[in-house]
Amino acid sequence: MARYVERAENFSRLLLSTQDLLLDAGAEGVDEAQFWQPILATTGDEEAYNKLHAKVRGKDVTEFLALRTDNPNSILNCIRAARENARTVRDQISNDVWECLNGLRLFAESDESQAMYHAQSALFYERVLSRSYEFQGIADSTTPRGESWHFLRLGTCLERADKMSRLLDTCSALSLEMSPHQEARPLRWAALLRSCSARHAFQAYHRKPDPRKIIEYLLLDETLPRSVASCIAEVHTALLALCGTGVGAQMPEPVRHAGRLRADLAYTTVEEVLATGLHDFIDDLQTRLNQIGDSIFRTFVLHANELPEEEEPENVMTPALGAYHTDQEEAAQQQQQQ
Amino acid sequence: MSSLFRGYQPESFFDEVFAGPGATRPHYGAMLGNIGSLSPDDYSALQRTVDAAFLRQGVTFTVYGDDKGTERIFPFDLMPRIIPQREWEMVEAGLIQRITALNLFLNDIYHGQKIIADGVVPADLVLSASHYRPEFRGIKVPHGIYIHICGTDLVRDGKGDYYVLEDNGRCPSGASYMLENRNAMKRAFPGLLHSLPVRPVDEYGTMLRETLAHLAPPTVIDPVIVVLTPGIYNSAYFEHCYLAKQMGVPIVEGRDLIMRNDRVFMRTTKGLEQVHVIYRRIDDDFLDPQVFRKDSLLGVPGIINAYRKGHVALANSIGTGVADDKAVYALVPKMIKYYLDQDPILPNVTTYLGVDPKECDYILNNLEQLVVKAVNESGGYGMLMGPSSTAKERADFAERIKANPRNYIAQPVLQLSRHPVFVDDHFEGRHIDLRPYVLYGDRVRVVPGGLTRVALKKGSLVVNSSQGGGSKDTWVLWEDRPDMPAATPPAA
Repeated sequence: MARYVERAENFSRLLLSTQDLLLDAGAEGVDEAQFWQPILATTGDEEAYNKLHAKVRGKDVTEFLALRTDNPNSILNCIRAARENARTVRDQISNDVWECLNGLRLFAESDESQAMYHAQSALFYERVLSRSYEFQGIADSTTPRGESWHFLRLGTCLERADKMSRLLDTCSALSLEMSPHQEARPLRWAALLRSCSARHAFQAYHRKPDPRKIIEYLLLDETLPRSVASCIAEVHTALLALCGTGVGAQMPEPVRHAGRLRADLAYTTVEEVLATGLHDFIDDLQTRLNQIGDSIFRTFVLHANELPEEEEPENVMTPALGAYHTDQEEAAQQQQQQ
Repeated sequence: MSSLFRGYQPESFFDEVFAGPGATRPHYGAMLGNIGSLSPDDYSALQRTVDAAFLRQGVTFTVYGDDKGTERIFPFDLMPRIIPQREWEMVEAGLIQRITALNLFLNDIYHGQKIIADGVVPADLVLSASHYRPEFRGIKVPHGIYIHICGTDLVRDGKGDYYVLEDNGRCPSGASYMLENRNAMKRAFPGLLHSLPVRPVDEYGTMLRETLAHLAPPTVIDPVIVVLTPGIYNSAYFEHCYLAKQMGVPIVEGRDLIMRNDRVFMRTTKGLEQVHVIYRRIDDDFLDPQVFRKDSLLGVPGIINAYRKGHVALANSIGTGVADDKAVYALVPKMIKYYLDQDPILPNVTTYLGVDPKECDYILNNLEQLVVKAVNESGGYGMLMGPSSTAKERADFAERIKANPRNYIAQPVLQLSRHPVFVDDHFEGRHIDLRPYVLYGDRVRVVPGGLTRVALKKGSLVVNSSQGGGSKDTWVLWEDRPDMPAATPPAA
C-alpha cells in the first residue's frame, strides 16, 4: 500500500520536474529520445514501454507513466493498487487513511483528473503529490506504532531508496557518457534535486551545484529524509522492530542485509563512490536492495505461511496460486446475500 | 412549506408520514417543519454531499458481472423514517418472541423433534427443507442457541399493521448500512436529530461482540473472536470488514485459519493464535469441504468437527436455514403457540404452500393475484409478482410449481406502506419495508432502528438492493409526543 503511494508520488514529482527542465532547456537542440530515455530508465519500465511504442517521445512517455492503464506502474495504476491493497487491510488501517486513499483513487479515475492532465498536467501531478503527503501525514498521526506502522514505513522507505538510486543513476550516465546540450547539464543536476524535493535543502548544505556534492547529499547524507542512506537507516529500524534483534546466527536475515547496507553507506565517502564509478556503485546498491526485499518476502510471506508442525491435514487443497485466486473469487461471489 | 411536498399524494396506500393529503402524522411534525423548509436545490445539494461522502468512505457494494469491479453506493434517501415509541415496543416484543420460538424450534429439530412427534408440524415438510442438516442432529451447540443474529423483514399493509415477511436466520446483511446511514444523518441534519428523542444505534458493534463472546467455551476468559469472510471479491466485503472494525476483531478468510487437534487457529505474524468464536459470513455449504461441498475453497476443512467438539463456536449455527425456508416460515405461528403458548405478536403474511395439494391448486388458479416465491431464494430472486407478470412468465412459473411444488409458496400481494422519497426535485411515495436486527446472546436484544429499505422504482414492491432498492435511516423514538393518537392496534 505505502509502497505504491510512494511510487505514484515519485513519478509525479519526476514528471513535474522533467517538464520544468524541458521548459528551461528549450526544446531546441534537445534530442527527445535522449532526453526521455533516462526518465524511463528511472522507472524501470523501459521494456513495457518498448512493447507499446517504437520511439521514445515525450508525449508517449508522459502518458505511459501517468495514465496508461496497460502500464502496471503508471501513476493511475499505482494509485489503484494502493487503494486495492488498502481495501484488503481495511480492518487494520484507520478510517482516515482509508478515506484518503479511496478519495485519491476516485480522483485519479474521474473525468476531472483526465481533463486536468490534458489541460494543465502540472495541476494533476501536484494533486497526486499533495494527496500523498496527506496520506503520510494522516498515517503518521493515526497509526499506532505497532506492526502496521513499521510495515508502512518499510514499504515507503524501500520504494524511496529504490527510486532515489535509479534517479541518481540516470545522472551518472549523463555526466560521464554524454552531454547532449552543454548548457542543459547544470540544469539537469538542478532538476535531479527538484525530482527529490531537495533543491533548497541542498543549497543550504552546499552553495554550488557541484555534482560530487549532490551525489554525496542524495546518496550518503542521513540528515536528508529522502537520501538513500536515511531511507536504509529507517528500513533497518523498522526491520529491527518487526523481527527483533538476534545476534550472530540468530539475527534475522532481513535485519542482517539492511544493517550491513546501512553501515556501508554510513562509512563510505563520495570519493570512494566515484572511484568505483557511480553507475557500478548503484548497480550494487540495487542488488542489495533486492536482497533486502527478497528476504522480507521470505520472512513475512513465505515463512508466515509455513505451519509450525510438519503434518498438513490431508484434505487441504493447494492449487496453483493463480488458479486459487480466480476460483476463490468466483466462489466468494457465489455467496448469496440475505 | 417549499415545493418539495407540493402535490404529494398518499393515494390509497398507508403512508408513513401523511394520514391523508396534507395531514401530517404527529411524529413527523418536527421533521416536516425542518425538511419542508428547504428549497429543492438545497435539499438535493445535501443529498449529493451525502452520496459523495459514501463513495469516498467506500460504503459500497461490488457489482458482479462487471470486469472493472465497479463499486456502487447503496442508494440512500435522506429523509429518515420515524417509528414512534409505542409502535416500536410492539415490534420489539414481537421480534423477541419470534427469535425465541425459532431457536426453540431449531434446538428441537436438531434433537428430539418433539414438535413433529406431537403432530404440530408435518415431518416431511420440515425435514425436506434443503437447508436442514441431518448430519448435525444430536450435536450440542453453546447455550442451545442457533440463530444469534437475525435480520427479520417486516412490512406494513394498507392499514398500517406490521407483518413478518421473512426471518433471515442465516447470514443477514445490512447492519453496516444501518450504522453508516445514521452517521450520514448526523452530518446532514444535526439540528433535527438533536431536537428529536431518537434512540442511538451505534451500540450495535458492542452488542454484537457481547453476543459472540457469550458463545465462547466456558473455560475461556477472554475469547478470540474473528469475522470469517468469503473474501474481498464478495459483494458484502465492505460490511464484513466494517463489522470486524466496529467490534475490534480481526477479519479472516478460510485460508487464514488452520486446524490443530480439532481446534481452530489463526495465522498471525507472531505465529498461531487459537480462535474461540467465529462470526461467519459464509454459507453452510461452503464452510467445511470435509462435511459439505467438497469443492469449497472458501472454508476451513475440519471446522465442523471442532464445532461439534465445542472447541469453537459458530454464529449463526449450522442448519439454521431450515427456519428460513419459506414453507417452514408458514409454520412459525404454530411454533410460537407450541413452545411459548402465546399468540404471535407480529403476524405472518398469509402463505399458501405448494406442497399442500389444495393450496397448490389455489396458487395455480390465482397466479395473477399472488406473489410466488421459491422457498430458498433471497435477495428478491426467484419470485413472480403476479399482478405485474406476463402470461408467459405465469405459464413458466406454473410449470415450475407443478414440477416441484415443495419448492414454492405464494402470498397475497401486500400493499406495502409508503414513505416519501426524494425524486428529482420533489417527494413521491415509494414502498418500504423494515429490517431490524435481533441479537440473541445472554439475552435477546433488538437494535432500536434497523434498515428501512425502499423500492425506488415507482410502483415497485421489491426493496432488495440487487433489484434497484435503496435505504433510509430509521429513527426509533425514546418517547412519543403527548398528542400521539392511539397506536395502530396490532393485527390479530
